[in-house]
Amino acid sequence: MYYQLINFGNEEFHAYPDKSLYWKRLNTLIVSDLHIGKSISYAKNKQFLPPYDTKEILNKIFVSLDKIKPTNLIIVGDLLHDVFSTLSLKDQDHKNLSQYMKNTDFIWIKGNHDKNIQIEGFKNFTNYKIDKLLFTHIPIETSLFQICGHYHPKVKISHRGKTIFKTCFIHNEKIFILPSFGILTGGLDIHSKQISDVLGKNNLNIYPVGQDKVYKL
Amino acid sequence: MNINKSNPLLLHPLNKWMKKKKWSWFPHQIETFQHVQSGSDVVVFAPTGAGKTLTGFINPIDNLIKLKNFKGLHTLYISPLKSLANDIVRNLEKPIKELDLNISFQVRTGDTTPYKKQKQKQKPPNILITTPESLALLNSYENAKEFLQNLKYIIIDEIHTFLDNKRADLLSLNIERLQTFSPNLQRIGLSATLKNKQDAKKWLCRKKPKIVSYENSVLPKIKILESKERIPWSGHMAMYSINEIYKEIMKSKLTIIFVNTRAQAEYMFKNLWLINKKKLKIAVHHGSLEKNLRLKVENNLSKGLVDCVVATSSLELGLDYGDVEKIIQVGAPKGINRLLQRVGRSNHNLSTPSKAILVPTNRFEFIEAKAAIEEIKKNNLDKIDLKKGSFDVVAQHIFATACAGQFDINDLYKEIIKAYPYKKLKLNEFKQLINLIQDGGYVLKNYDQFKRIFQLRENKNIYKLVNRRETRKYRMNVGTIIENPMLKIKLGTKTLGNIEEVFIQNLSQGDSFIFAGQVLEFQSMKNNLVQVKRSKSLISKIPSYSGGRMPLSTNLANSVRALLAKSNMWDLYPEQITEWLKRQKNISKIPKKDEYLVEQFPRKKNFYTVIYTFAGWHANQTLGFLLLRGFKEFNYKPLGFVANDYAIVLWSLKEVKEIKTILNLGLLDKHLDNYLEETSIVKRLFRDNAIISCLIERRLPGMEKTGKQVLFSSDLIYTVLKKNEPDHILLKSSYEDAKKNMIDYDRLREILKKIDKKIILKKLTSISPLAVPIILEINRENLSKKETDEYILEDLENEILKEANVLSIN
Repeated sequence: MYYQLINFGNEEFHAYPDKSLYWKRLNTLIVSDLHIGKSISYAKNKQFLPPYDTKEILNKIFVSLDKIKPTNLIIVGDLLHDVFSTLSLKDQDHKNLSQYMKNTDFIWIKGNHDKNIQIEGFKNFTNYKIDKLLFTHIPIETSLFQICGHYHPKVKISHRGKTIFKTCFIHNEKIFILPSFGILTGGLDIHSKQISDVLGKNNLNIYPVGQDKVYKL
Repeated sequence: MNINKSNPLLLHPLNKWMKKKKWSWFPHQIETFQHVQSGSDVVVFAPTGAGKTLTGFINPIDNLIKLKNFKGLHTLYISPLKSLANDIVRNLEKPIKELDLNISFQVRTGDTTPYKKQKQKQKPPNILITTPESLALLNSYENAKEFLQNLKYIIIDEIHTFLDNKRADLLSLNIERLQTFSPNLQRIGLSATLKNKQDAKKWLCRKKPKIVSYENSVLPKIKILESKERIPWSGHMAMYSINEIYKEIMKSKLTIIFVNTRAQAEYMFKNLWLINKKKLKIAVHHGSLEKNLRLKVENNLSKGLVDCVVATSSLELGLDYGDVEKIIQVGAPKGINRLLQRVGRSNHNLSTPSKAILVPTNRFEFIEAKAAIEEIKKNNLDKIDLKKGSFDVVAQHIFATACAGQFDINDLYKEIIKAYPYKKLKLNEFKQLINLIQDGGYVLKNYDQFKRIFQLRENKNIYKLVNRRETRKYRMNVGTIIENPMLKIKLGTKTLGNIEEVFIQNLSQGDSFIFAGQVLEFQSMKNNLVQVKRSKSLISKIPSYSGGRMPLSTNLANSVRALLAKSNMWDLYPEQITEWLKRQKNISKIPKKDEYLVEQFPRKKNFYTVIYTFAGWHANQTLGFLLLRGFKEFNYKPLGFVANDYAIVLWSLKEVKEIKTILNLGLLDKHLDNYLEETSIVKRLFRDNAIISCLIERRLPGMEKTGKQVLFSSDLIYTVLKKNEPDHILLKSSYEDAKKNMIDYDRLREILKKIDKKIILKKLTSISPLAVPIILEINRENLSKKETDEYILEDLENEILKEANVLSIN
């Protein structure tokens, strides 16, 4: 898989087109906003989305774990969509997860969607510090470099008279926001107020995610 | 009219009123009355002005008077437009009030207040005038049967507008429901004249089906604008003739200028204003304008307070504008029926002819306009193909049925297959649609505890809605018309109308564009509102609306081909057209009626292949994509293609040697699936399907979700579904929609079936005169992106003409 090299907080990261981020020095894989079980959560309101999101997200993460074999997997929040979502994790899924946990530490930072939910084998944190980096779902007041999720950033690209939206990795000097690793998750324009309030409008590094490649704007 | 003593209408309650007005009954009114009285379902074909509305009401009024003090709903009148429904009420009011008949009537549409609707339910009028959507809603109420079981007549107005679309499917299902409620119900259809009258009969009538037809013997007077200017080779804006169009407006009291797209409407309107030295009152009317603005224009039109209205199909149906003297059609007529409908907007008086002027915007359109006039003389109308019923509409109907109360699926299935579009709906397809409403209908059963409808334990055939809250969701999602995501345009605090979100996304702050006849500057977008201010800019974009393009009808296309081949007619054309065709004959060839001319020539390092199919834009677009793939396979290194209604041009790096081997039915069979896969056509239609079938909710005012997000998430759903469950009924449904609408599959198949024996291949050394228009479109498409103005186009045109060695024509 091709990756895009990103320098952030004096560290080197690899951004992958499957929307995961790899920190090579510490052999750590980082993902965010999986929203597992979003479909089932919508179903309770009678919006019947195809119930394959959980299966696909888990497959995607397993493929990545198989390839990279990381020491740590950090999930920067919103692993699950809500309390109902655990219904979409079948016995076999739990079995598979515990297999992978034998070789990889699963570090689950709680997001706004899943703060009150527990899954066996996952270690729960509100945030997690490694050296000068702080992993947290939503950025907080701190002098540390922060790696976050929550916003599902997407970027509007206008070129040759056409406009497209692409999910993206984005960071300024201090804050890095991951794209959503989920399947049925939408996105938020990076120029929206919510994201501008966090990152500001200038000196942004934007990396749109393509089919097989992460680009740099 | 022939009134004889045996005319049964002389005893009709309305006869007194007719006499007072000094009107006499039309033969088709007598005939309809008799057929309906003897128990027939009838479709009446008559032109505007022939008392069509009254025809529908003759039997209901007679019956109501005979029944004396009939309580409850007796007759439903279905109109395609809300505005038309109000007009019908006004027309009905006159005789009923003047004769003081004891008959109550009301209108019920999306604009009717909830209070009034509630009152109607408590005390229903005898006659209710409504729309297909409001009828569907009526049928979804818990007490629907009680309300509708004594219904005697249903009248479908403008039935020709309902035959080939999803609205027709919805209507057909709801008519069958009414028939179940009230088995004696009789159906009366009112239609503009149609080629395949039998099809309309099949669609509507069940009991002793009858057709009543009245043809207007006075033909409309249609001519082509005689222009002193040069008709352009290509383009669609008719700028060359703007002064002459203005003169025509001055000559008549009231003119409607019809154009084919909203963009053309804005452009024409703006340019008429620029030359409006006489200060004529000119207005613009199209579907994206704010309702109040539209109503104002309609009102001024009916009162004769304007001199001219530039309009799209938004004014095709609707109120009687008695004072309209002249219709000007700018751009290709595209179809006979459509042209007739438009021309019929002028002069609603049967004994004097309607007057219309056609303004072709380019040379092919001149031939098309000529052909259309010929066909109208011969009364050779377009056929309206009945469509096979769509799955998503059935799903919505199942949901509606559940809202009305528990139901037996076998009864429902039997009722649905009585509707003509669903005669062939298979039981297993129907069951898949039941499952779709129940829980999405996925193979993976994840939603057992969240079902929307469920089977009763004691009888598995009976389904029931899980809770009443769901009825609200159905009511918010009713209907089959799905708009593209639109944004409101605000000038200060005033709303001007709606504009496609896609267009706004391509604008930056400060860009100007034309809307509602004004040049506006884009300022900002907040909460789905587009803030604009007036601009003095001269360079402005015109919103392009994706729905604006409709293909040339097969009927008219055949006529164009026939006319083109008739070289003895050429001398009657303007000199420039004659010269154009003669040159073509000398340099290449004019194809015969059933031939397919293919021209190949080198140009600027590339190799060009032009195929004249006359297949209409959709089919040509599809064929273009397929040929790109075919050329790739043969390693001709194709670079691109452009299609219009008449032809396709492809350009490639290498010479295309085996065109006859590639261009046949095999091409379609081999590459179509791939094509559908790669383009977003099916994906886009999936969104409509998901909304109509109530799988996802429609965007509604006040909801946080923007249209873009709906589009986005339906894309995600499509992708996940396609990957995991490619046989899902909604994917099948979207695929069928694509075949029917966007790619014109059947038409293309017909052509490819016979094309290989009819290809006339011409190898040329340079571009031919006939190819110039489409070659120009290539460059126009590329240039428009750079906002190049007309001068550059002119320059380019000359360059290409020089190349074709045909400059002397002008």
